[in-house]
Amino acid sequence: MTPRERILAAMRLQPVDKIPLMCQMSIGHMLQQFQCSPAEFWHDARCFAEGLLSLRELYQFDGILVSLHGHDPEWKNNIASRRMTGEYEEILWKNGDTTHFLFDDLPEHISAAPKNLLDIFSVTKNDLPQHVNFIPVSQGLNFFIHPEHRFDIFRILREKTGGEISIHGEITSPLDYYLECTGYQEGLMGMIDAPGQVKMVMQHFTEQLQELAAAMCGEDIDAIKISSPYAGAGFISPEFYSEFVLPYERELARTVRGADVEIYTHTCGAVNDRLEMMFDAGVSGIECLDPVPLGDVELEDAFTRIGSRGFIKGNIDSVSVLLQGTKEEIISDVRRRIEIGKQFPGFILSTACSIAPRAPKEHIQLLRTLIDEYGRK
Amino acid sequence: MNPLLQTLAETIIDGKHLDADRITMQLLEEGLTPMTILDEGLLPGMGVVGRRFRDGEMFLPQVLVSARAMKSAMKHLDPILAASNAEPKGTILIGTVRGDVHDIGKNLVSVMLQGNGYKVIDMGIQNPAEKFLAMYEEHQPDIIGLSALLTTTMMYMKTIIELFKEKNIPVPIIIGGAPVTQKFADEIGANGYARNAVDAVDLVHAIMKR
Repeated sequence: MTPRERILAAMRLQPVDKIPLMCQMSIGHMLQQFQCSPAEFWHDARCFAEGLLSLRELYQFDGILVSLHGHDPEWKNNIASRRMTGEYEEILWKNGDTTHFLFDDLPEHISAAPKNLLDIFSVTKNDLPQHVNFIPVSQGLNFFIHPEHRFDIFRILREKTGGEISIHGEITSPLDYYLECTGYQEGLMGMIDAPGQVKMVMQHFTEQLQELAAAMCGEDIDAIKISSPYAGAGFISPEFYSEFVLPYERELARTVRGADVEIYTHTCGAVNDRLEMMFDAGVSGIECLDPVPLGDVELEDAFTRIGSRGFIKGNIDSVSVLLQGTKEEIISDVRRRIEIGKQFPGFILSTACSIAPRAPKEHIQLLRTLIDEYGRK
Repeated sequence: MNPLLQTLAETIIDGKHLDADRITMQLLEEGLTPMTILDEGLLPGMGVVGRRFRDGEMFLPQVLVSARAMKSAMKHLDPILAASNAEPKGTILIGTVRGDVHDIGKNLVSVMLQGNGYKVIDMGIQNPAEKFLAMYEEHQPDIIGLSALLTTTMMYMKTIIELFKEKNIPVPIIIGGAPVTQKFADEIGANGYARNAVDAVDLVHAIMKR
């Protein structure tokens, strides 16, 4: 099987020759390994694509997750000044903003103007963006999507990989867009204070994201990951999950699967109490399933409960095991997950959350060795 | 006991900030002391919130509205308590470390500590070691709390702890954040680790009793 065929088969619960391997990588980890200008890596589609390809090659992953898309090819025209310090690459933008591009983590963006947050009590549809033109990457950090270059990155990658590697896009959950626009604490309280308003905002973003996802599906990708980090038990109850997450992710799933593309949800932390509900969105699979201590999912139990409903992509602890563990601890932990995953269809071996920035490359390379030794079917 | 104190506790648990505001004013008008309102109404209410959060019966939105209700009540009590020189249970300096902009967990710890009678000086995000030192010297807190969400920034906690050790300042420094563990806390010489906001309050209680 080619890597792409292997991933596709696993996502469709079909037989595979060996367990597929595909981890999502943090920007910091890619920068540590790829060694380039962090600003170029963040803003330049070709540089980002080269990094993704280089790391896939290094780790022999079967697929590539494209976490950023919509790079502006003219981004350098917005630069007022640029300098390198010992700690970061700094860009002062013509609009007065500053960005510090770290060498081992996400950029830090400092806006010149204070951010206008939405007031959930008074917001109307007219106050909301009419097009989704950004990706809420992390708290306070957005990546702007150029409307005419939304999917250049996928074309570059497809051209370079010749269709042999599984390529996945990423869409951020409507819940993240909502929280980014209201502020996280106000947004969470809004679910109690003004649930009808919250749903109006969520529905609005969902419609925008459906359009984005549908267009992304036309780029010869195999799957879209919904990044939904705030939907776990560390934040909201199962009841709120059902009320404020499920209906909207269900709409996204319907759009993507209607285009014959797979879709899976990534929610970090504790999700053991809602594994079944996550599948109620109609997704093809779920990703992450953090084990203790970051989360609370036991892989074998998860397969028993939901393994027949779709694929599972996870669940190696990227911090305690791959970042901090010894070689022996990694082998023992990963081998156990391979042995469990081998018993069920639809397993993709992956880190739960992204590979941590400073995880040694030798630790990640062990994954391929272990799959080849123990993961054949 | 004035039955309104029980009602006040319930408004905290239910997160009804307007009711908490109104009932607190009413209790003050009836002649209850701020300490009585705090000890017999607000703190028992926040105690229930903490227990339910720890046991998975309450989640972040509910805790945040409870904290907001607590704040609504405290805005009436704080000026009187300050004027009477009433001592808080302790003073905690808390902040997210340099390089890290994440503050949801830190804010939650902050409100839970305030809700349990501590004075909290919240330094916000992106704090270098020197700022922790300067704030320590200015406020003389009983405990310092460090927060980090990232595996890259959690390493900076060690820098802060080492700075305080270099200066021979014996203030207890406790840490928390998603990637942080007890093992990591031991490795970097922290005086304590809390897995979540409720554990952080218990940890602070325990350290203050020493």
